[in-house]
Amino acid sequence: MNLRVEGVSFRYPSGVLALDGIDLAIPSGQLLAILGENGAGKTTLVKLFNGLLRPSQGKVYIGDWDSAEHTTAALARRVGFLFQNPDDQLFERTLAREVGYGPRNLGASEAEVKRRVARALKLVGLHDMADAHPYDLPQPQRKLLALAATIAMDTPILVLDEPTIGQDEVGRGAISRILTDLHRMGRTLIMISHDMDFCAEHAQRMLVMLNGKIHVEGTTEDVMGQTKKLDEAEVAPPQLVRLAQALKMPGTPLTVDDFVDEYKQWRKKKKSK
Amino acid sequence: MRGGSIYIERSSGLHRLHPLTKVALTALCFASAAALPGLPWLLALFVGLLLPLAIWGRLTGAFLKACLLVVGPFVLSLTIIQGFFSGGETVLFNLGRFVFTQEGLLAGLTFAARLLVALGGTLLLMQSTPQPHLMQALTERGFPPRIAYVVLTAIQIFPSFQDRAQVIMDAQQARGLELQSGLLNRARLLLPMVGPLILGSVMDVSERAMALEARAFSSPARKTSLNTLADSLLQRALRWLLALAAAALLLWRLWSALQ
Repeated sequence: MNLRVEGVSFRYPSGVLALDGIDLAIPSGQLLAILGENGAGKTTLVKLFNGLLRPSQGKVYIGDWDSAEHTTAALARRVGFLFQNPDDQLFERTLAREVGYGPRNLGASEAEVKRRVARALKLVGLHDMADAHPYDLPQPQRKLLALAATIAMDTPILVLDEPTIGQDEVGRGAISRILTDLHRMGRTLIMISHDMDFCAEHAQRMLVMLNGKIHVEGTTEDVMGQTKKLDEAEVAPPQLVRLAQALKMPGTPLTVDDFVDEYKQWRKKKKSK
Repeated sequence: MRGGSIYIERSSGLHRLHPLTKVALTALCFASAAALPGLPWLLALFVGLLLPLAIWGRLTGAFLKACLLVVGPFVLSLTIIQGFFSGGETVLFNLGRFVFTQEGLLAGLTFAARLLVALGGTLLLMQSTPQPHLMQALTERGFPPRIAYVVLTAIQIFPSFQDRAQVIMDAQQARGLELQSGLLNRARLLLPMVGPLILGSVMDVSERAMALEARAFSSPARKTSLNTLADSLLQRALRWLLALAAAALLLWRLWSALQ
């Protein structure tokens, strides 16, 4: 499902203009990363996608729905939202009940709830602990549980606010694998993250925000190559990109494999000269 | 004003007074509310002392508004209850077989005025004194720091509670929870809202306690305060005077009652 933002501005009651004339189209099945320093407007923007905030000006369309005509609970059928802190949502006695809470809110049949719970817990690797208490899990696993709860909503669009925050390498790897699977399933994924390596590795497209406006957007490779623009937005490219730039290598390698390949070619060319 | 704090930042002489001077003034207000004999005395104290202090503190609007908001409903209910049920000979009007008397009305208004004076003193203290300064003044006079911390935290927790409750509500709405009116619907919201709020707060408290201990909160050494509370001989004398006046008023009231 695609998502369109047309001429959106948002002003908080305090008077702060958090978004200023945003136009954006996210095609179905895309994996988009939204970057920017704190206060750039990233979270405000994504909160418009599921109606937690309403634009002061402009329109947000979720597929053919004008978000202004639907409640957040109704939009929850189309847009899933993973919050930064899992502890802001967990309250049930077991993992299975916690994951099933959203589908039950949407009126799914008990059999359907069971099916979604089992699939979501399997996807995040917590299926063996379905009857455990959520607070018996360590914090990084509670994040995976919150992600399972979001996945179980079965929404075509998923918004992930800082999915890797607080995760060790194992957790980061798990989230990486889950995103890859969800992307393969055709979900539209929108993530906000300060984890540049993670974004560079997974996002197809990037959008960098500055002072409530879109500062730069494009394919991940394009955006990562625009050092000056990234500097202006206080966004540091991943270490591999910076290393390549320091070596004056052509191209923008986003993964270790890309870097090794490009480095070999570059060395070969240099030697042949 | 937000959450548990009603302090209003202003640059005024009242704000600059030592917190304990204002505590002594509040004590005098409470003693006056309990001891002064009638409505004219109480109103005179409010108009002659508390109102000028509020003007001096540049708090007039907020002070009067808060007084009205809190005491207003009491004035109404007390005058109605006392007017109809406390008896008296001067009948003002009848409502069926119920009689509203002037004596009852006066008793209700006097009771409300006592509340007004006690509340007025407390409001002036709270609106012109940051809570940390009040606690600092008390701990400097031997009030246990642990209790001061508990009191302060209890007051300051409201804003963070509000913020957290909003995030939780957002998170549950994003999971399809429909916010509807009605008692049953509200009951349905309770667990998904209160559960994460309580659990999160307990975890916060535990982490905060560890962070405080890691920074020597329980150290028996005398703590150095970043903030110095200005005091003077005049204020100290004034405090004694206010405290003596409060004690004298209460003793006089007791003596009058025994006569």
